[in-house]
Amino acid sequence: MATAVQAKQQPGILTMAAKRRQEAIAGLTFMLPAMIIFLIFLIIPIGAALYISFTDWNGISPVLEEGAYDYVGTANYSDLLRGYHVEDGREVSAAIRQRDFFIALKNTVYYVIGVVPVQTLIALVLAVIVNQRWLKAKGFFRTAFYFPSITSSVVISLIFMFMFSRGGLVNQAIGGVLAGYSDNYINWLDDPRGLVHLILEPLGVTRASAGSWAGNRTLGLTGWEWISGPSITLLTIMILNVWTTIGTMMIIFLAALQNIPGHVYEAAAIDGANAWNVFRKITVPLLRPTIFFVVTLGLIGTFQVFDQVYVISSGGPAKTTLTVAYMVFQNGFDRSAMGLASATALVLFVIIFTFSILQRVVVRERAD
Amino acid sequence: MRKHHVLTVVVLIVLVAMGASAALARQDTTLTLMGWSSSQAEDAALAEQIAAFEEANPGITVDVNLVPDYDTTLQTTFASGDPPDVFYIDSSKLADLVEAGVVDIGGDKIENPEGFYESLVNVFTYNGEFVCPPKDFSTLTLQYNKDMFDAAGLEYPTDDWTWDDLQAAAEALTGTNEAGQEVLGLILNPNLERWLPFLYQAGGSVLNEDWSEVTVDTEEAREALDFYTGLVQDGYAGTASAVDAGWAGEAFGMGRAAMIMEGNWVINTLLDQFPDINWGVVQLPGHPDGGEATMTFTVCYGVAADSESQEAAWTLVNYLTGEAGGQLVAEAGFGPMPPRTALADPWLAARGEEIGQPFVDAAETAYPWSFPVGFGDAIDTFNASIQLAFEGQATADDVIFEMGAAAEEVLAR
Amino acid sequence: MTSALDSQQVAGSGGRSIIRTAFAGLGWGVLIMFALIEILPFVFTVANSFKCLPAVQRFPAALIPSFSTSECVNEEGRPLPADEVANEVTFSPTLQGYDEIFDAQLPRWFFNTAFVAVIITVLRLAIDSLAGYALARIKFPGNRLFFFVILGTMMVPVIVLLIPRFIILKQFGILNTYQGLILPLAADAFGIFLMKQFFESVPGEIEEAAMVDGASRLTMFLRVILPMATPALTALAIFSFQGAWNDFLMPLIILSGNRELWTLPVGLAFLRGAYGETLRWHAFLAGSVLTTLPLALIFFYFQRYFVEGISYSGLKG
Repeated sequence: MATAVQAKQQPGILTMAAKRRQEAIAGLTFMLPAMIIFLIFLIIPIGAALYISFTDWNGISPVLEEGAYDYVGTANYSDLLRGYHVEDGREVSAAIRQRDFFIALKNTVYYVIGVVPVQTLIALVLAVIVNQRWLKAKGFFRTAFYFPSITSSVVISLIFMFMFSRGGLVNQAIGGVLAGYSDNYINWLDDPRGLVHLILEPLGVTRASAGSWAGNRTLGLTGWEWISGPSITLLTIMILNVWTTIGTMMIIFLAALQNIPGHVYEAAAIDGANAWNVFRKITVPLLRPTIFFVVTLGLIGTFQVFDQVYVISSGGPAKTTLTVAYMVFQNGFDRSAMGLASATALVLFVIIFTFSILQRVVVRERAD
Repeated sequence: MRKHHVLTVVVLIVLVAMGASAALARQDTTLTLMGWSSSQAEDAALAEQIAAFEEANPGITVDVNLVPDYDTTLQTTFASGDPPDVFYIDSSKLADLVEAGVVDIGGDKIENPEGFYESLVNVFTYNGEFVCPPKDFSTLTLQYNKDMFDAAGLEYPTDDWTWDDLQAAAEALTGTNEAGQEVLGLILNPNLERWLPFLYQAGGSVLNEDWSEVTVDTEEAREALDFYTGLVQDGYAGTASAVDAGWAGEAFGMGRAAMIMEGNWVINTLLDQFPDINWGVVQLPGHPDGGEATMTFTVCYGVAADSESQEAAWTLVNYLTGEAGGQLVAEAGFGPMPPRTALADPWLAARGEEIGQPFVDAAETAYPWSFPVGFGDAIDTFNASIQLAFEGQATADDVIFEMGAAAEEVLAR
Repeated sequence: MTSALDSQQVAGSGGRSIIRTAFAGLGWGVLIMFALIEILPFVFTVANSFKCLPAVQRFPAALIPSFSTSECVNEEGRPLPADEVANEVTFSPTLQGYDEIFDAQLPRWFFNTAFVAVIITVLRLAIDSLAGYALARIKFPGNRLFFFVILGTMMVPVIVLLIPRFIILKQFGILNTYQGLILPLAADAFGIFLMKQFFESVPGEIEEAAMVDGASRLTMFLRVILPMATPALTALAIFSFQGAWNDFLMPLIILSGNRELWTLPVGLAFLRGAYGETLRWHAFLAGSVLTTLPLALIFFYFQRYFVEGISYSGLKG
């Protein structure tokens, strides 16, 4: 009451309140279409996936009919992370599921660790060079680098399968340079040998000679399996990913570089700083937010790698390209375990989320 | 403007009503049939069957939808409650689909069941009930390139070949062709279903008869694994990708492999896409002690438990798998063999005995490709470890241990 | 640090220019190397898409087309061997691969993809810019919350959404329809984020001036703000079009039951399995060329706006 009276006396405040309400209505109206789409096709599905992850739904029985699934609590999560769950007081083993999950996680982490830094670094270096004042034909290089990024992942996968087949162009090219290689072509698309294993082998370290840790199992995998590194085939898909994305990353870096005012560099030139110092002391710090953005994009993209695996290797050879996203697909649509697949997908979400936050913190700390 | 809208709506309603009443009057039923395509010849034969069926059954039309990535597509249609009326079921998927309660159990609705091969009826019998009538079946045999055998001065393979003959021939035939490309003596897949014949020949098994126990950890299994992976380790055999092919049939057709062990589906590929290859067929080689075995792969026509036109659907399925309907497919003579004993001769006549007979004969020693619910996990585990064994990164003991543990776990679920 | 810099200064300008030239040479070398790595695969793809299949398999490196074209088969209709249609350097061009992919309904996929991509792009331009503007400029309850929800959804793996989305589309009765493919993608977090960043960089005085004239938010947005946003909108349009054109996972699940509605990536991926895993490279590569061509043309035409768009939209942070 009192406020209303006051408001009458002070027309300015009334307008403010009315204006605020108007703004609120305008804001919500503007948001409405987006929020409807997000609600129906993102929020509700995420809720549904969360719900399904606590059931044993096979993904086949009509989900909206009664009896299509049973509520199983955290059994799916327990299967994935602990390798068993308890049912009616009985311990039911799920060693395969745990093992598959950690194989997929291991592959995905190798993938992310391999791809994200490499693509960020290459993109940054290329952007810095393209941004140099002395460079002619900037447009050409920008186009050349960006072009693969616009191409469909399915198309890129097909092109890479073609290039990297055993008798294909890549092996022919290497054979042309490296004498003796032509008798021993690498079968890029179908070789489960791990990179680290391959490096250790000539050094005389094998599973048998490595000691007891190599045979001990942690989370379903032996020590020797954990340290395998990406397989040759996974490496091929990693190369594909780097090859595809450095263009996008470079363009983003380039845009940011062009926003650094010229006088900053001029000042540095007057101080006599050399190119490396300019790069390290001026360019990188000013680009920190962009680096954060690019790395986040990279993390989100690489953790979800699916299309390439689907087209090129279907998770093989020997599960070495089984990624977490592909495992979700496989369990959900091939193994009749949609509950488990949903649980896997949500664990993946938590991982991506954690990594994004983590790297944000790291970048922040570096900045301080 | 407004008036136009009203008019449009009225016209639409009238049209729809007219359509609906007309449909009701004739009691039109549209059935959907979902499957996959394995060759154009097969698609054409199916279309012919459907046309004949529609003519004989006025009022029923059949919508054929052949899709790739079949398992995924089929599953999503079930999950959302909108399944096709009739669909293919691979023998390895039967248990999963029946357990999910989405398949209408055929039982007495299946006409003339005694006309099918007994072994096929057994494959599609689950919990004592005949679920769905078989569509066709394929067996694994050995295909060989006659020109390569001639060039190497080797005798052609025979039905009496043993593992030793296979190994000797694969060794002799591995080398390079005129173009300087690598040629493998034999293509082997790192897959359970391709290794199983060797296991069965050696006298081993994966599970006991009633699928209650795991029986893979035996000397027989070790022997079969050592032989299978040994061929690859010694360099006389390899996967199709090693010779730039997508699968064994393609490697063979491209002249990059001298021998392959494929099923009936390879026939059309070789005849249509690689007509210049001069090839022959014999039974798979047997164990040196005389054990013979091969695999049979088969598909049935299932009817959806949720189908709204089950009666019509069963009429269709009975026609497609019956003698009259089957005759059309048999006479087309494409890859897989008809499921009824009475149709074997028309198929052979159309196919030609030289190519067809070994596939028919193989049925006598064939084991079905079917396993209990959820066994896909164990199969995957096996496939992954045998692939490592191909690369020399796992021993027979490793493979058998992993396989055994996975199978035990699946059975205990 | 300072002394190091000083000593370099002392080294004199003669040394500096040599270093600079060496640096430039190195820079050129790196750029040219990477440009080759990025572009050569496309060159080989185009060349091999015009070869007969045996020639693709045996002479993938041949880049120079000869003057005589080839039908790839002899009078009896049997495929010609590789060395009759190509050698290590040259090949007889053919349209065999293109014929095959056209028979496989590629024009239909092409239309579907273009249609869906255009509609999605238009919808996203409208919805994303409205939402981005609201988040950037309008104070309303839940502003921050909406922003974080939208940002958070960027981290949700698409694979999580597949089956629930499938069921929802089924409930709406729009499975296997264009709508079913379009609606879930009608707004996206990245686009909203991009537009928000851009609108935040627009000076506030412009709006205040319009406000004084008594314009409503919507009028102001349409008349004043949106016209200024052309660079950001162009960038958003290209990103959206490209994303929709290349999207694979959702169409894979939603459309696999209806061949008529397949998009190019789905069609191509399935084509790979359509011959029982046989690798019909000439057709795959022809399909790859045709799938990439429209995007390439759009990209070449718009690339200037596109790069501008990114820098204007404040992705710099």
